[in-house]
Amino acid sequence: MPRDFLDPYSRGTSICHRLPDRLKILLVLAMIITALFVPPENWPVHGCMAAAVFLAMTLAGIPLRYLLVRLMFFFPMIMGLAIAVPASTGFTKGWDVMATVLLRGTLSFMGVLWLVNVTPFDRLLVALRQLGLPQMLAAILAFMYRYIFVVFDELERMREGRRARTFSQRGLLAAWKSNAQLIGMLLIRSMNRAERVHGAMCARGFDGEIRTLDS
Amino acid sequence: MSDDPSSNSPVLSVDKLSYRYPNGQAALTDISFDIQPGERIGLVGPNGAGKTTLLLHLNGLLPGNDLPVVDGQSGEASYPVQVSGLPALQKNLPAIRQHVGFLFQDPDDQLFCSTVRDDVAFGPLNLGLSREEVLQRVATQLAAMGLTDVENRSTMQLSFGERKRVCLAGILACKPDVLALDEPSSNLDPRARRGFMRLLEDCPAAQLIASHDLELILDLCTRVMVLDRGRIQADGEPATIFSNQRLMELHGLELPLSIRYGKR
Repeated sequence: MPRDFLDPYSRGTSICHRLPDRLKILLVLAMIITALFVPPENWPVHGCMAAAVFLAMTLAGIPLRYLLVRLMFFFPMIMGLAIAVPASTGFTKGWDVMATVLLRGTLSFMGVLWLVNVTPFDRLLVALRQLGLPQMLAAILAFMYRYIFVVFDELERMREGRRARTFSQRGLLAAWKSNAQLIGMLLIRSMNRAERVHGAMCARGFDGEIRTLDS
Repeated sequence: MSDDPSSNSPVLSVDKLSYRYPNGQAALTDISFDIQPGERIGLVGPNGAGKTTLLLHLNGLLPGNDLPVVDGQSGEASYPVQVSGLPALQKNLPAIRQHVGFLFQDPDDQLFCSTVRDDVAFGPLNLGLSREEVLQRVATQLAAMGLTDVENRSTMQLSFGERKRVCLAGILACKPDVLALDEPSSNLDPRARRGFMRLLEDCPAAQLIASHDLELILDLCTRVMVLDRGRIQADGEPATIFSNQRLMELHGLELPLSIRYGKR
């Protein structure tokens, strides 16, 4: 997996990239809160915000194609959540609630997508810390960002190893079984790695308190 | 760095260290050796011999060091691992870890911070140094490792050799007097390996180098220990031990090419 898979445009130089990091976080936060609290009858407000997001994406040089691809990943998830409302009434009513969930969810998602693509992740964490995010949460986010690629690479290597030894299609059940084994193996490997990382931290004097140069 | 006034006392000593894995299998049996200040010692042996397990003990990373070994005759209790005269007890671990630096085999295990600078600063910050001093140590180490231009890069964007050097910088920034190195040359291409060896050679700290790279040990070390089935099977000068074909083959090793072809 490419190293910039999560935020490929975050190290750009556009006007959006040059805005103060804390300001960007507060802007997106304000947008999300507005999106959540403005009732759907006032849909022009949501329309304006959507337009603002598209404008900001353009200014940051983030291509529309990238946005659409990410939305394609996001949509099934929010759809699964939103469809539950009309489904619970036997598809007789609740469509308005579903539309509201979709609208608010998509707007919030696009706002965050813009934020992570105009701010490198390490700077984002520093800014979040300055805004009062607890050190422990910041550390967990930092570790997640650091190791998600390592874990994905490990998964990719295991899948490659499996492909190299798979000679026939053996039906859905066998495929699921082998997927389950892969995921179980990944979990064990990740736990072992976590232990080694903890050892490496202790070896350099970690005592439970995380200290950084920026705090 | 050591506060000990007598320079002849070992910087690290291991005395009758035994260890079993949690499943009961014996990993190390009756290991004893001393490391003198500035000494570089190779640790060789087949896979599964216990090399990494031994290294982990030096830094107090495996539990069990708290248990004293009681002498059968005199009834005196002693602790198997002592670093600069301090027994490796839970309460001494912060001090011991300051004395002993540990280089892990996989840089991904060791580089957990988001940028190179943060990672090298991690140890010094934990030592409780002032911000200025931390920044100064980071700058010194990065310059020594030739990494100044990647200071603000993410560790994920570096080559394997560069990541390995960042690991070493992060350890040396704590100014240890012993380094425990687990396979320092594995996965490095020849040029990166040679560069890394030069860095180890320039480093004044005592070093215990666990490796399958016998040529590296011949080049760097004045002493080598052969570890097999959890016991030290031989301890001596690298050139002598590595020329002993029977000994080497008995313990799953073979003669280094430079010795076999008389190029040394």
